[in-house]
Amino acid sequence: MSTGDSHKQLIPPTQVSVKAGFVVYSPDDETRNIIILNKGELAAVDRSEIPARTIFKMQPGELVGVAALLEREPFKYTLEATQDSEITLISEDCMESELKTLPLWLLAVIKGLSAQTRKLKEATRKPRVQNTLKSLSEYISHLEPKKSYPMDELCREFRWQTKIPESQIQADLKALARRQFLEIRKGENGTEIYSDHPMLIQIYVDYQKASEKNKPWAPFQLTDTQKKALTLLAALQKDVQTDAPSWLKFFTDSGIAINVTEWIKMLSFGWFKVCDDSSFQVNKDKILYYQLALRYAANIRGVL
Amino acid sequence: MLIAEGEYLCLEGERGNSLYIVQSGMFKGTSRKNPESEPEYFEPGSIIGELSLLETAPRELTIQAEEDSEVLVIEQEQLKEILDAKPSWINSIMSFLVSRRHIAEENKKKSDLVQALPPLLFLFAKYIENSKTDTIPLLLLQEKLHDMNGTAPEEANHLLQILEDLKLLKIERDVVRAESLQVIPLLYHTLKYRALHKQVSPNILSMTEQMVLTVFLQLAKGNRLTSNDGICTIPTELLKEEAKKSMHFTLTSRIVAPLVHKGVFVTDQPFDIHAPLDNVPCFYAEFEKSLDLLEMNRIFPLLDKKLVG
Repeated sequence: MSTGDSHKQLIPPTQVSVKAGFVVYSPDDETRNIIILNKGELAAVDRSEIPARTIFKMQPGELVGVAALLEREPFKYTLEATQDSEITLISEDCMESELKTLPLWLLAVIKGLSAQTRKLKEATRKPRVQNTLKSLSEYISHLEPKKSYPMDELCREFRWQTKIPESQIQADLKALARRQFLEIRKGENGTEIYSDHPMLIQIYVDYQKASEKNKPWAPFQLTDTQKKALTLLAALQKDVQTDAPSWLKFFTDSGIAINVTEWIKMLSFGWFKVCDDSSFQVNKDKILYYQLALRYAANIRGVL
Repeated sequence: MLIAEGEYLCLEGERGNSLYIVQSGMFKGTSRKNPESEPEYFEPGSIIGELSLLETAPRELTIQAEEDSEVLVIEQEQLKEILDAKPSWINSIMSFLVSRRHIAEENKKKSDLVQALPPLLFLFAKYIENSKTDTIPLLLLQEKLHDMNGTAPEEANHLLQILEDLKLLKIERDVVRAESLQVIPLLYHTLKYRALHKQVSPNILSMTEQMVLTVFLQLAKGNRLTSNDGICTIPTELLKEEAKKSMHFTLTSRIVAPLVHKGVFVTDQPFDIHAPLDNVPCFYAEFEKSLDLLEMNRIFPLLDKKLVG
């Protein structure tokens, strides 16, 4: 097993006795030490506030300064003895000399723990989504159609919701505008966002989800017969509610050969709603969804 | 220790007490908890299982050899031997680093939960607004929240559970039902106001304002003083009497003024805070809207405590 260099001379820690009121550490100090309290009591005080506020008190056996020494994280409080105390000061040199005697794997464990903590802290400040365009699309899809929204306000609200940086939000808005899902235009009160069909953006979200999973996306898999059936259903003026055989007859009478398999497929697309009496009615929202998906296929695929 | 390609080094969730150092080959780590997260790869020099070695923690990932590989195994006994031979402060530093990592992990979980609240309320509010129903399919809400904020379904469920405890919504099998249609959007806008304007939203009422509004609504309900359009009208004299009787305080223009300024109470004529309250013959308010406002004010102060407490 490989170990560190144990031949180097160890630098011992410094033992200090201090009186009550003694300032053991001040944020202005340039030297960094790990401070271990052996006896007495220390208080970490925030002197930047008036009156100064005690943040926490240390009891014998406790220590501070590890992050300051290992990761250069500033320790922003003043450390004062509230009683006569005995402390151990571990300087950077002392710690390094001791750490060098540890096996390399143990050093790696120490570094690994520090790195994991740093990563977790950083992660709380970062957006959680990887696909920021999909995230923004989901948000924008809830806007009202044919209404202008101030871009600044939208960006601020969305940033608050997701932590996605403003520059990224703006780049994604431009990407949606390039696909002609929305317009970015000058209004009376600055730049505005406008969309005729926010539903189209919801369709785009669904397309992205299918693409991410490498799954075929139903609107782009329709056969010619299914497309004809879609056009026919979209053109229906009346709210027809009837059973499956009658629907099949309706398609046949209209010159579209729909068999039971095709019918089941159409049900899986959600083109029909099942009514209480087991009859079927056209689901207009879903028909519009498929129509928009086909009409804007090039925009959705990004091949404009 | 030799691990053949395809063999498992450890399984997610099982307790371990050893550390592995990859000496050759390659391992892939995956998580059932986060199936969509990118797999983690461990190449020679990587260490696996720091927390298992230090505190017999459950393995965080299932780790499988991508090719024939070799690891060096370090057991807790070896660690103990080394630390026993060192000054005690080395052990203290190790404990400190472990506890700091746990705190960071806990803070991350809390932060993720807090962060998921606005998009969840936004998505729920928009869905019930557009669909004109009071429910949203649970799966759909989870999916949308994941798409928008990266929130995992378990986290969404945890958050929904908290909101159910606060009686904001109800989880019913595969749908989530809003207890009141307006409280969710109201809460969202109140949180948004606080975050974007860095000040308290006008929707937040002081205790006194809440008491006055409660008295007003009790009177409206008890005396059936609500019209068909949902507007209730309470004569000032009656409001003053009831405030004195049930809340033991004298209602003045100064006390009522904030509710008028916030648009909760409406008067026939311009309201003068310096004039006697009796100059105003009666107050009007929307019954349902006022109830929702009170409900939101009940929930709002409990939220922070529930989410991070």
